Formats: sequence, structure tokens, C-alpha cells
Amino acid sequence: MARDLGILVIVVLVLAATCQSAVVSPVSESHRSAALELFSPAHGSYGSLEETYEALKTFKVLGIEKKHAIRTSSCASVADTLKSTSSALKDFFDALRVNSILKCELNSEAVRGTQSRLKDSLNGASSLIDFYYSIGGLVLLKEQMSEVDVNLGDADRIFRSIKALGQSDGRWRLSSNNPESSNNAAGIALEALAGVISLATPQIDNSWITTLKNDILKLFDGIERYDDGTYYFDEKHVGARGHQSPLSSSASVVRGIAAVAAATSETLNLPGEKIMGLAKFFLGVGVPGSAQDLYHQIDALSYLENIRESTPLILSLPATVISVTKKDQLKVRVSTLLGSPAPTLSVRLMQIFVSGSKDASVIDQELKFDAVSGMHVLETLPKNIDVGSYIFSFEVIFHNPEHKKTYVSGGRTRVLVHITGVIKIDNAEIVILDGDRGSVENQKKLKLPGDNAVALSANHLQKLRLSFDMSTPFGNAFKPHQAFLKLRHESGVDHIFLVGNSGKKFEIILDFLGLVEKFFYLPGRYNIQLTVGDADMENSFLQPLGFVELDLPDAPEKATRPPPQAVDPYSRYGPKAEITHIFRAPEKRPAKELSLTFLGLVLVPFFGFLAGLVQLGANLKNFPKSTVPSTFAILFHLGIAAVLALYTLFWLKLDLFTTLKALGFLGMFLMFVGHKTLSHLASTSSKLKSV
Amino acid sequence: MAAPKFAFLLLNLISILPLLVSSFSVDRPTDRRILVLLDDLSLKSSHSLFFSSLKSRGFDLDFKLADDPAIAVKRYGQYMYDGLILLSPSTERFGGSLDVEGVLDFVDSGHDLIVAADANASDLIRNIAAECGVDFDEDPSAVVVDHSSYAVSETEGDHTLIAADDFIQSDVILGNKKIEAPVLFKGIGHSLNPANSMVLKALSASPSSYSTNPSSKLSSQPPSLYGTAISLVSVVQARNAARIMISGSLDMFSNRLFRAGVQKSGSLNKYEKSGNEQFITELSKWIFHERGHLKAVNLRHNKVGESEEPSMYRINDDLEFSVEIFEWSGSSWVPHVSKDVQVQFYMMSPYVLKTLSTNGKGLYHTSFKVPDVYGVFQFKVEYQKLGYTSLSLSKQIPVRPFKHNEYERFITTAFPYYGASFSMMAGFFIFSGVYLYNK
Repeated sequence: MARDLGILVIVVLVLAATCQSAVVSPVSESHRSAALELFSPAHGSYGSLEETYEALKTFKVLGIEKKHAIRTSSCASVADTLKSTSSALKDFFDALRVNSILKCELNSEAVRGTQSRLKDSLNGASSLIDFYYSIGGLVLLKEQMSEVDVNLGDADRIFRSIKALGQSDGRWRLSSNNPESSNNAAGIALEALAGVISLATPQIDNSWITTLKNDILKLFDGIERYDDGTYYFDEKHVGARGHQSPLSSSASVVRGIAAVAAATSETLNLPGEKIMGLAKFFLGVGVPGSAQDLYHQIDALSYLENIRESTPLILSLPATVISVTKKDQLKVRVSTLLGSPAPTLSVRLMQIFVSGSKDASVIDQELKFDAVSGMHVLETLPKNIDVGSYIFSFEVIFHNPEHKKTYVSGGRTRVLVHITGVIKIDNAEIVILDGDRGSVENQKKLKLPGDNAVALSANHLQKLRLSFDMSTPFGNAFKPHQAFLKLRHESGVDHIFLVGNSGKKFEIILDFLGLVEKFFYLPGRYNIQLTVGDADMENSFLQPLGFVELDLPDAPEKATRPPPQAVDPYSRYGPKAEITHIFRAPEKRPAKELSLTFLGLVLVPFFGFLAGLVQLGANLKNFPKSTVPSTFAILFHLGIAAVLALYTLFWLKLDLFTTLKALGFLGMFLMFVGHKTLSHLASTSSKLKSV
Repeated sequence: MAAPKFAFLLLNLISILPLLVSSFSVDRPTDRRILVLLDDLSLKSSHSLFFSSLKSRGFDLDFKLADDPAIAVKRYGQYMYDGLILLSPSTERFGGSLDVEGVLDFVDSGHDLIVAADANASDLIRNIAAECGVDFDEDPSAVVVDHSSYAVSETEGDHTLIAADDFIQSDVILGNKKIEAPVLFKGIGHSLNPANSMVLKALSASPSSYSTNPSSKLSSQPPSLYGTAISLVSVVQARNAARIMISGSLDMFSNRLFRAGVQKSGSLNKYEKSGNEQFITELSKWIFHERGHLKAVNLRHNKVGESEEPSMYRINDDLEFSVEIFEWSGSSWVPHVSKDVQVQFYMMSPYVLKTLSTNGKGLYHTSFKVPDVYGVFQFKVEYQKLGYTSLSLSKQIPVRPFKHNEYERFITTAFPYYGASFSMMAGFFIFSGVYLYNK
């Protein structure tokens, strides 16, 4: 039976080897630093006993000595919890778990109290969680204090009641009134059942153990698989306890299986490939970011590391980039999951595939074991290996046939290896050819890689040819993945061309006549840039070669416009140019002196008039002498003066309406007194004439 | 009995509701509640440094699987989240009622978005990005490859893990501490739509990079994306101040790359820790409005020598203008200090455009003369600066011409005319007397 299964496992492994398998590396220093970072106690202690246990367990597995710092506070907390009668079942369990690592001094009274409390709750337990905590607590008690009696008399009943919660597919329900079953619960149940087996005083019936083994195998039927050979237990339901991640449920199952394996002395016939897949799953997680996930990962790995009959071994390569120029050696390390060295074995390089093709060369070469570094070293690369990407296929061969049964190595491990080297570039030149005759107009040698600054000029009837040879350090032709020639116009429009090859020779001819359309008829300076690169080329480069001044014909009307160029974000923002308003210029005025001079000139006739009056001997002798006419004359002239004064006021401040109103009254007054005065004057003068 | 209880509950709900929706407010622009959609819940652990950095800054993260049927961003017309983080590159459709339009509406209403894609980016994610002005390489197998600025590694030899250090030059987006170490990037590249002026390259690829399938030889066609046209991480600030970050790499958020050391090829500098953590943290501070949010208050103007704001100016008046601008620092409003705030005196086009001087305490002021053109003007402050929310303020103010009595009187040039009139009047008065009474 076992041999059949062994053959089956080998067949499965061979099948699996044809697929690309995931390359994982064992637990490393980064896990340790992450553990120290994630499990850093706040104020010298952790939040809860569960957290304390997770931290202590992780530290223990990773070999970090950090117990002393938190020992005192944690032990006090353990003692308090065990003494207290109000502690929940889970607290007892966690306290005992912490104690299993710290080994605190506990007084026997508290221990006895705990024992009776756990037994009581076991009798009244109905849900899986209750069973788990009480049995787990009793198992821990048994391990820690030999003097306490923890044996179960009614182990069969308990076993049956836990088993009753199991489903036909190997999964478990948390309680009888909860229909949802889960892998997580299965792990818990397995752990609890393993506890029952180890505590049972009359040993548990063997048939029970057989059904338990079947349950485990059924559980493995429901395992999920990734394409790269990674296996994990997924959780379909999002139960009341929140979503269990694949990591925590896989870890729970692994804990359960490990507990069963420890409790029974029989072989469990676990499928080695799936155990290997689980190990790859836990390692493939990398370094988890949460403390709990790290605990699950490390805890599960520690159980897988010690699992009987199928202990996984991990083949890993510290470096998959091998430089020919630096004469690097290909090294392979085989270790257990937690990074401890594997038993004596040899690693054989079986096949080498050229990456991207199906051709394989069969090598079958044994790697030399270097005892100092613990590595298997491929001292010289096989003859037909040049710079490039290859898939190396390794196989682990055990020296001791016994080891074949106790270890699983995952069959052939295929690893992508990059062989890199410095590529030689020769005969690089850039040439301008005359279109019709193909004669060389201008030829420039280039140094690649190196500084070049060629200055060329060409018109649309000419051609540009760039050529160079590339060869590997072994003298073979090398075709890089990236060989681009870029022409970039001053305006920012750029064009990219692939440089093709035939054998070692790389050549590109740009016929500008055929490219004018593509170049949008943009004449001017084009900067030339050559990019040659490959994953396996150590001297990949990007180099400006210089420029070519292109003389292109004028664009026809229908020519396509060059695409819009992205605007530089830094120039898009920023302050705008200031704008100041240009005010209307004031009207031009003559100088003040000029105006005053003219004022003087304007006043001259008035003074001339006065002078003339004086000259003519003007007088007022005709002014009426008698009272009434003289009064009217005075009033008349005062009226005129008032009108003139009104005009002055109008000029200074009054508006037209006020002025006209006043002028109306003044006019009537003037009319009256003027008529009186003038008629008096007229009558006086007619009297004189008549006389 | 039940009815009053129910009413009481309702009352409670009503009083809580404004609290729930008011956390994203004008006074406190920083986001609070963020919905994180994941492909796989294991991302919660593998990207925990990013999430814990957000949590430690006070964000309330709500993790959901991208196909969770209970996803809803909106309830009763109110958004329940201020930000959305899509770390679900391969999701073909979201669960619940969320779809591309839903995400865009979310952004259109001023909320923030972080999208991370990778080589398995689905059409859904590509469409969301395209709507933001970012076009991922259409070739589904293409990733960004760079043979000249890759991260030196002993185990990854295909040069798809890129050490990028071409950051956007903006203190407000990336913080004022220079990012020394290159950022590790592994994923797909995108190009920006040149017509879209809102989208910016936050991290761009080196000139030697190109977007291709690294495991197959290039065909006769050159790659569609190459050189500095490739953007690795882009940011968008919409007109409504919604901010979007689009990254072609989901891995760059991961703990592995946060912690990884980095040595750029061809460089001897070896950094203990990549620049990812600083880059992502600083960028997320900007995205979630912990930085770069401006507000302008107390826009004031008055005539020189007065303090009251007039209802109207006369042409050629001298006026003083001031505005206060504050910047959100994540916890409080601090004065924004800058030398490029400008005010426009605007009617159809700016008549005056002047840079404001600042007192360093948030007050910006200037004075200028009202132009000799009358009409209805506006004071306009259009402040757009890389990385900051844009300010657009305007205040209308009419400008009138001179009244008839406001012109100058007694112009010297007119003195001869005045002289002529008055000498005429005086002459007339004298002449009338002489003429009437001369003997």
C-alpha cells in the first residue's frame, strides 16, 4: 500500500515537474527582523496572553532569545489568570500556552484549580471551541506538571462528541447548531482529537484512529492548488468569526495534522506533494506584514519542518543572475523550511532549457558540495551555455535510501537563470549615403559604448545607415532585446526604429524619401540616440550619437500635422506676466506764461478804451439832476451791474435755471427803470432840440 | 411602547447622520473614511505597512474584497467614504452596485481615488484609468522593462524591477524631504493624454525604458510606449479638487518593496531601504488632502485712506486690495507663503494684473489705480500652482466716469477767454454810462 502510494507520489512529482514550479527560499534573516519589528511589546508586555504566546512561539521557532525582557510581567499575568476564578476558558488555555514556553513558577493550588476547572468545562462542553480549549489546556498541564492527574476516563464519549461535528468532506463545524463547516474548524478539531488520544487512559480504540486518518486524507482532497504547485486550504464562508484567511486556515490544519501525528505513533500516509505545496505556500507568502500572519506562517512552518515521513526540503538559489565576466558560480542550497541544513544528499543538474523555447539539452551533471558554505556549486558552466536566459532543472538525490522516505524534495526544480556578460560592440559607424548611386557621402566611425558627437547633414534624397557588430564574450552572435534608434526633432517629436540584425551584424538604413511623411515634413536638427539593452547584457547603454541636420521639402497642404506634445507641467503653472493699465494721456496745454501773456493782451483793448475815454474827455455831466430821474438812472445802472454780477455768479457756481429765473426778475426791473431813464433822457434831449 | 422607542432611535440616527457625513468638510479637507477594495485579503497582510501608515494617520479603512456583493459607496444619496483605494487590478467587475460610472461619480463629487494596476490589469481598471486621462499599454502582456536603470538583484534578472528616481519636482506633492533612494517599480507603464492638463507624471520612467513583453522577442514593430513618455505613477487633480493617483504597479505598495534595499544599476550607491515607503506615504498624504489644500478668505478692497468697502469706484481712484490665503497642514490652517499670487482687475479681459505682496502671515495685499475705463469690473484671484488646489475668487465692482462737476475748473489756458469776457462786461458797463450821460 505504502509503496503504491510512493510510486503515485513519484508519478505526480514527475508530472508536476513539467510545469514551472515556484522557486521559494527558506525562512531567512528578514523574517527575524520582521518578527522583532512586529512583535515589539508596548511598555514591556503584550496586550493579551494570546499575543504573548504568538510572540514567544515565533521567537522560539526563529531562535530569537528575547524571553527575559517580558518574562516577569508575562509570568505574573499567567499566575493571575490561573488563580482567578472569573477567567474565561480561553484565558486558561492561553496562560498555559505561554507557560509552556516560559516555564514560570506556579503554585500547585492554582494548578489544581485550573485542572478541575478545565475538567468541569470539558464535561459541560458542547461547542468545538470549548472542547479545544479544555483539552488543549489539559494537554498543556500534562506536559508541564507531571504530578497533576489529567487523564480522561470518558475519552471515548468526548472523542465521539467532537467527531459528531465533523462533515463528510473532512471539514468540521464549530458547534452542532452552526451548519457552516470550515477547514479552520477542522484544524481545531484535529488538534482537540489528538489531545483526547494522548490523554485517554485506556487507550482509544484503534478504529477511531483509522477513521481520523481517513478524515485527514479527505481534508486533503479539498485542498486548493495554484498552477505553480502551491497548495493551500481556502475558506469559502465568511462566518460569524470573521473571514479566516487562507494562511490562518492552512496553518490551523497543519497544526491539527502535526498534533495527530504526534499523538499517534502510526504513519498518516500524507501526500508528500501536497505537504511540499503547503510548505511552498507558507514560504511563498514572503514576510507577512501583520504579527498574527507571521505567527501563523512561522508556526505552521515549524510543524511542517518536523512532520514525520514527508519533511519538505527546499532547493533554492541565492543568485540566479550569473555573470560570465565576473566568473560567478552557480550555487544551489538545499535546506529545510526553517533554513537548517539538509541531510547528506547531492544535487544534479539534469536539463537546461533555452528560455522561451522547448529545446532542452540533457546534462546530468552533479554539483560539487562545498561543506564550508553548505552550498552545492556548479564549478564550470556547461560548454554550450553562452550569455542568455536559461531554465536549469535540478534534482535532489538522497545518498541514504532511508531519507527518500522521510523527506520530500519536490522532484525536479526548474529555475530561470540569467547568464550575463559584457557584450562586445565593434565596427560601429554611421554613414550618409547618396540616394541614387548609393555612394558614401559622409562616413563617421563610432565608439560604442562611448562618447560620440557626430554632426551630419542630409536631404530627403539621401539615406542614413547605422551599423555595428555585437558578439558575446564567447564570440557568438548576440541579439539584444532592445536595439532602438531614436531620432528626436527640436520640437520634441520623436521617432523610434528597431535596428535589425543578420547574425552578428546590426544595420539600419533610413531612407529619408520614404520617411518625410512620417517626419511630418519637419526640417531641422534631429538628435540621434541609440539604445541597446538586454537582460543578459551587462553593458546596456543609452547614448546620444550626435545629430543630423535634415533638409526636407515643404509640406503639402494635406500633410498630417505633428501630434500635440505634452505641456511641461512646471511651465503650465506659475505667475503670469503683470499687466498695468495704460491711462489716457492728459491733453496738451500751453505753458502757463503763454496764457497769462495772452490774458494781458486781451486786457489791453479795455485799457485802451479807458485811455480813449480819458483822451476824449468823457464825462457824466448829463446825469439827471432832479431826484426821481436820478434815482431811476442809479437803479438802472445798478440793475445792469446786478445782471453782470449774476453772470459772474453763473460762471462761478449757479446753474442755468437759477440764473435764468434771477435774470427774468432783473430783466423786468431793468426794463422798467431803463424805460424811465431812457424816456427821461429822450425828453430832455428833445427839449434841448426844440430850444 | 415600541413606537416611542423607534422614534427615539430615529432621532438618534438623525443627530448622528450629519456627523457621519460632515467629516469631509470645507474646514477640514483631509479625508477620513476610506474604502479599500482588494483582489485577495492576503494583500492586507502583504501590504500592511502601507495600510498601517494610513491607519496611524487617523484614516478609517474599510477593507472589502472587490467582488464582495455588499460594496456600496453611496447610501441615501450620501457618500459613505471620502476616498477609495483600488488594489484590485485583476477584478473584472466590482461586486454590489459599484461600476466604472460609480467610481467616476465618486470622483466627480470631489472624492479621492488611488488605483493600482499590474500586469494582470483588467479592462475595468484600464477603463477607470482611461477616464482619468491615463492610458495603460494596450498589450496585456507588456510590462515596463529598463536595461539601464533597473534595480540590481541577484535573483531577478529580467530587469522588470525598475529603480525609478525621476520624481515630479513639487514639495507639496512629495513633501519637502527629498526622496534619496530610488523607488522600486514592477508593473505596467502608461502614457498621459497630452490634451488633458489635469494629469501629471509623479514618477516617470527613464529614457531607456520601454514597455514590452520581456519573455518574447520584439516583433518588427517598435514598442508603442518608450522612454520618458512612459509614466509609472501619475496623479490627477480635478477641478473640484478631487485627487487621483494611478500606479502601474501593485507591488510598489507592498511590504516587500517597502523594506527592500535598492541599488540602481550603474550606480555605486546602495540604499538600505527603497524610496517606496517615503514616496507612497508622501503621495498618499497629498492624495487624501493632508497637504496642498488652500482656502482664501477675507477678500477686501477699499480706497486708499479709507477702510470701508465702497459700492462703486470712480475711474482713476487709488484702491487697496487684500486677501488672506491659508494652507491646510493636515491638522490646522497655516498661512500660505508664496510670491506668485496675483489679482486681476477684469472686465472681458484683465485691465490690471498685479502680483500681490505678502506679509508672511497669510495676508496678500496690493494697491493700484482704477483704469480710466468705466464699466462693471471684477477683482479676480485665479491661483493655480502645481500640486495645490486651485483658488478662483471673484468680486464684482462697478467703475463710473467723472461727474460733470468733478472735472478741473479755472484752467490757466482759458484765462484769456475769461479776461476777454470780463473786460467786455466792464467795458460795456462803463460805456453804457458814458454813452448815456456824456455831454
